[in-house]
Amino acid sequence: MPRLISISIISFVLVFIGSTGCSYSQITQIRGFADALASLQKDKVSFSLGEQDLFITSELSDRFSFLGESVFRFTNTTPTKFSVSIERIVIKYNIAGNHNILLGKHHTPINYWNDTYHHGRVLFPTIFRPLLFDANIIPLHTTGISVQGQNLGDMKFGYDLMVGNGIGSTDVLDNDKRKSITAAVHLKPVEGLRLGLSWYNDVISKGATTHDGMLLGWTVNQNLFTGSVAYFGNKFEVLAEGTSGTNKTDTTGSQHTLASYIYAGIKIKEKIVPYLRLDNLHFGTGEIFYDKNNTTSIVAGIRYNLNYVTAVKLEYQHQHGEKEGDTNRLTMQVAIGF
Amino acid sequence: MTFQTICILVYRKYLSILLLLFVGLIINAQDAPLTAISNPKGAPATLKMSDLKSIMKGEKQRWSDGTKVSIVLMKTNTSTGEITCQKIYSMSGDKVKRFWLGLSFSGKADAPTFCNSVTELESIVAQTPGAIGIIDKVTTGSGIKIIMVDGKNSF
Repeated sequence: MPRLISISIISFVLVFIGSTGCSYSQITQIRGFADALASLQKDKVSFSLGEQDLFITSELSDRFSFLGESVFRFTNTTPTKFSVSIERIVIKYNIAGNHNILLGKHHTPINYWNDTYHHGRVLFPTIFRPLLFDANIIPLHTTGISVQGQNLGDMKFGYDLMVGNGIGSTDVLDNDKRKSITAAVHLKPVEGLRLGLSWYNDVISKGATTHDGMLLGWTVNQNLFTGSVAYFGNKFEVLAEGTSGTNKTDTTGSQHTLASYIYAGIKIKEKIVPYLRLDNLHFGTGEIFYDKNNTTSIVAGIRYNLNYVTAVKLEYQHQHGEKEGDTNRLTMQVAIGF
Repeated sequence: MTFQTICILVYRKYLSILLLLFVGLIINAQDAPLTAISNPKGAPATLKMSDLKSIMKGEKQRWSDGTKVSIVLMKTNTSTGEITCQKIYSMSGDKVKRFWLGLSFSGKADAPTFCNSVTELESIVAQTPGAIGIIDKVTTGSGIKIIMVDGKNSF
């Protein structure tokens, strides 16, 4: 029976590839991003390498396309002190119009930042990602299948419905029978404005390892609700996102976490943007899934876009964390695309 | 009248002429008409300007007959490319390139093909079913059709 299913799937794919025309010329593009930083913290200047991101797109046929993203970064635990990670492998099939099926490893379309910037640091409005990323509030990646639609109707409605291996799984095997579900919708009612909502659900098995490396002693039912407002106009830039997370176990009940940030920038010249970002992480008192560390942060910086693939940013960050207290950091970054 | 005064007057006169020519060129560049062309297969014969802008921003993946939309543009450092950036995208050339980098990186759209010359652009459009491009002349080359935008040949 499994063999019959395999043959059917292979036949289905071959029929689709065949129906899209053998004479289609394959167009493959390889692009990349990299960044280098210098920072001043605790009276010490440090130079550091950011990530080197290789990004490949290929139009396989009239309807099939491929997108791959691999990141090379410093990792202290490997013999070479560097590691390679597959951030995205997405095979896309255009069903009809603006509706697509996507299969592979995705950046979970849970919020604007995660679904837009990926690892292209030159595209980031600030040097570092918002705190809710570092605190692992949202699952950054999902390996699975999704249906996506975009720019539908006058309001440019878009949707993503994704089913994937949940938290605790690997990219090749799910650790349990439950699948994670992501449902996201957005509207782009006027030029430059995008309003989005999403819901993420997963039941994370007892014994699974979280993003923080914590071994779970309970089965956790997780629900994440995210709202986002993004406006990137000719003069002003605003990006505000908030995620409300509920982690429920049979023994500890429901614990609520709220993670949010707001970014605002103003173009004083076409290439120069001073900006501010405020972050806030607030965890429930008995939180058992996240590393409870209530944190606030303010970032003030300036971005200079030399050209479309080179950006220089200078920013100051003051952060207050429940565990580490006050920290201050001044960072300069040169981010490029190639 | 001293020689120096004469020199200043001549200088001012020619400077004014040069300035007028320069301003004229800028106005001419901004007013230079553009034409939307397409492969006979795919694109409709007429479009509204708002629809053309939406299509050129990668917001439409397929034409109504199911043909894939392929965008072909002049490079942003050419005069036609520059005018296209202003009239279609309301952005500078650099911003248009950044816009497409971001869009293709997020996997939401395929990047356009950028051409060095109008001849190259016309050739790609003629050879690619579903292709649509913007040029600076009203052309009726083989394998190409003109799309009327808001009822006009050019805009």
